[in-house]
Amino acid sequence: MEEKFDVIIVGGGPSGLTAGYFLAKAGLNVVILERGNELGNKSMFGGRIYTHALEKNFPEYKKEAPIERWVRKERIVVMDDEKAFTAEFFADTAYKENSFTTYLTKFIQWLGSKAENEGALIATGVRVDSLIIKDGKVVGAKAGEDELYGDYIIIAEGANTLLLESSGLKRKTQPHEVAVGVKEVIRLDEETINNRFNIDSNEGVAAHFLGYASKGMIGGGFMYTMRNEVTLGVVVNLSEPSKAKVAVHDIAEEFRMHPYIKKLLDGGYMLEYSAHIIVEKGPLKENELYGDGYLVVGDAAGFELNTGFTVRGVDFAIESGKIAADAIIKAHERGKNDRTALSTYVKFLKDSFVLRELAAFKKAPKFLLNKRIYTAYPGLILDFLSTIYKVDGTPRRIYDSFKKAKKNKVSLITLIRDLLGAVRSL
Amino acid sequence: MIPIEKKISIEQRLSLLVFNVEKEPHIIVDTNRCKKCEQKPCVYVCPAELYKLENGEIIFNYEGCLECGSCRIVCPHDAIKWNYPRGGFGAHFRYG
Repeated sequence: MEEKFDVIIVGGGPSGLTAGYFLAKAGLNVVILERGNELGNKSMFGGRIYTHALEKNFPEYKKEAPIERWVRKERIVVMDDEKAFTAEFFADTAYKENSFTTYLTKFIQWLGSKAENEGALIATGVRVDSLIIKDGKVVGAKAGEDELYGDYIIIAEGANTLLLESSGLKRKTQPHEVAVGVKEVIRLDEETINNRFNIDSNEGVAAHFLGYASKGMIGGGFMYTMRNEVTLGVVVNLSEPSKAKVAVHDIAEEFRMHPYIKKLLDGGYMLEYSAHIIVEKGPLKENELYGDGYLVVGDAAGFELNTGFTVRGVDFAIESGKIAADAIIKAHERGKNDRTALSTYVKFLKDSFVLRELAAFKKAPKFLLNKRIYTAYPGLILDFLSTIYKVDGTPRRIYDSFKKAKKNKVSLITLIRDLLGAVRSL
Repeated sequence: MIPIEKKISIEQRLSLLVFNVEKEPHIIVDTNRCKKCEQKPCVYVCPAELYKLENGEIIFNYEGCLECGSCRIVCPHDAIKWNYPRGGFGAHFRYG
């Protein structure tokens, strides 16, 4: 079979579907190729979407999208094997619709139905095996025996950049550039979740964990409240487990069995266990984001941002998908699909929050590879608090407790240097 | 659904997923190359525990793969020929 389209989109996730929606809306002939037998069933994330990109591009989302709960409480939890220190941020109205929790599977199905309504063709159960490249130009995609040709190809394959790498458009991903995340979905009931997290049925909690969750390895843990479930899991940089000789599937379990978590989830049932990789190194270089006949969007382009406080991907995916559509519509009007015509993609990205924010945090990935963030500092915080909360008649002023906690972990000079590093990169 | 009060083995966790298993493996491991590998990072990173060490040798089974791609990225000896399962096959997430 051989077919010809205006645009071929490889990957039916948030970025690919957003691009497909806007391209179809503009009247272009679009096909979206998705390897899952249904949209959304190969995609996975922790559980939260920041709304600003939806507000802009799909303002109707509030009525239509599958929202589980609106995040009203942000928690940061520092843990060791038996202690936990929690900082919680709550604002009654200011951040009311800043982000919501959801399942990516369901969210993608919603986005897919919108793209389909605009006339995009979504082909599920189709694995793209290779890109068709002629004279240095990407002209199509090969799936089994089928060859599909398009004037424009959007690569929205996700964080595991198999196609880009096998086509020589990106060098091989290195272990320290990505992390693996595993997620467990725990069914409780709505009432129990409301009571244990002290929220009402529309409100949700997002929690990030530092220390024990990743067993001191570069990474952390997460927990999000859904309507009737809680999702929780761990994220670990791929350079770490073999050095520490710790298995990822074991730490997911130990995290769930930690007394702090166990009490929150008591009586729950596991519904699902899943895994996915996450980009930690930042975006592709500008000249890797586009080329003759193609653009790269979403996770495949490295558009993910972890600042420790916020972990984001879907908002970048949606915005980059919209911008890719804009760039293609413009080039299509001029009847061009070469590298120069598509360079507007990067120009538009730079004018948007996508490359503005990622550029502002360009030092963050390297800073977050500092091991002390995951071992020495969580230990210091917990030992410090254990000492100041402990009453046993020993005369200890607060600074004495700090000195005691700091001992054998980190020198004062290193600590100050790391603090400065945090200020510069985050 | 599995109650969470006790530990849940990886086999039990994987049993919660719907798999449409392909006859042909989508990942092929050249275990000859694994012999010279000291770190064996695949054993530690695979979230489905599909890489096991038996008498110092790697035993691999593709059934139960969550398709994350971690093993491909960490393998220092290019011993893993990795692809996604064919369209429609593999693991299906309902709560991804």
